[in-house]
Amino acid sequence: MMDHAPGFAAADDGGTFDPRQAAALLDQSAAQARRAFTPGTPALFAFRAVLVLVVFGGCWLSVRGQHPYAGPTGAVLPVAFALVAVNVGWSAWAIRRAGAGVSGPHQRARLTWISAMGVVLIVAYAFSGPLFHGRAGNPLWGLYQASAPMLVVGLVGAVTASFARDRSAAGAFLLIVVVAVAAGFAGPAGAWLVMGIGLCAVCLVVAADAASRRHRGVVGS
Amino acid sequence: MTADELDPLIHVPTRLKIVVTLAELPDGDAVSFTRLQDMLGLTPGNLIIQLRKLEEAGYLASEKTRSGSAQKTTVALTRTGRAALGAYTRALRNLLGGLDEDGWAAEPDSSRVAF
Repeated sequence: MMDHAPGFAAADDGGTFDPRQAAALLDQSAAQARRAFTPGTPALFAFRAVLVLVVFGGCWLSVRGQHPYAGPTGAVLPVAFALVAVNVGWSAWAIRRAGAGVSGPHQRARLTWISAMGVVLIVAYAFSGPLFHGRAGNPLWGLYQASAPMLVVGLVGAVTASFARDRSAAGAFLLIVVVAVAAGFAGPAGAWLVMGIGLCAVCLVVAADAASRRHRGVVGS
Repeated sequence: MTADELDPLIHVPTRLKIVVTLAELPDGDAVSFTRLQDMLGLTPGNLIIQLRKLEEAGYLASEKTRSGSAQKTTVALTRTGRAALGAYTRALRNLLGGLDEDGWAAEPDSSRVAF
């Protein structure tokens, strides 16, 4: 470090290193590390946008002519299960990839949170079973299926993300709550359409946010 | 301000990459030596040398754990290291005529609980 011109530092691993190169390397390294350590990718969120649009939109197509309302039927169910399975597999792979070799309190908190949200989602949808078994009335049955599970997920997600001071996630979950409440006003059939369009928009906003975070600079911007 | 005022321990390509990569982990989290080596594309020998220099300065802490016959080394940036990177970033920004903001982000993206 002693025999270099002012403004330049001799690099231990060869070559010289001026401040502008350092700034570029810092931004590039930060972006690479951010991509490596963050499980949520823009592509994954974009896929989820397509998933909710296809699944909820498909359900709306299958129920819109029903009198009385009986719930989604036909080809939409296997398509929904297939897309959800792809989403679960992709998400699990992304979480495992991002967390490989990482340990510590935040990593444990993240895995606990993801597991808890998965349980909340499953329990919220599983509650359709007792409602069906108890012969709940058509409006309740229809509205619950379409919007209530995501309302529960949105509320739990918003509260827990707020406690974790994750403002972006809390905001996204609050948007889900807003969509689910709005869907409640659209009736059993219309709720599926509102949920599909609304959740698709939320996923696209989150995808755009994830994309902007990946390219955010540290020094220059 | 001149470039000579940049922290010489960080102002080296390999060590800058190491410190910046570790800074993307939340405070208190650590990464395994093998994952870090994989991410940076360095040889084990080179990485060990650079990590030792940073550890001697108190910028990072390493921990060796043993499970069965395998030994695992994890590396984490210390608060001193995080503060040094913040100061380095601010100095670099000043040097390049940028705005003097808060330096390194206090909460890296990976500290987000959700994804």
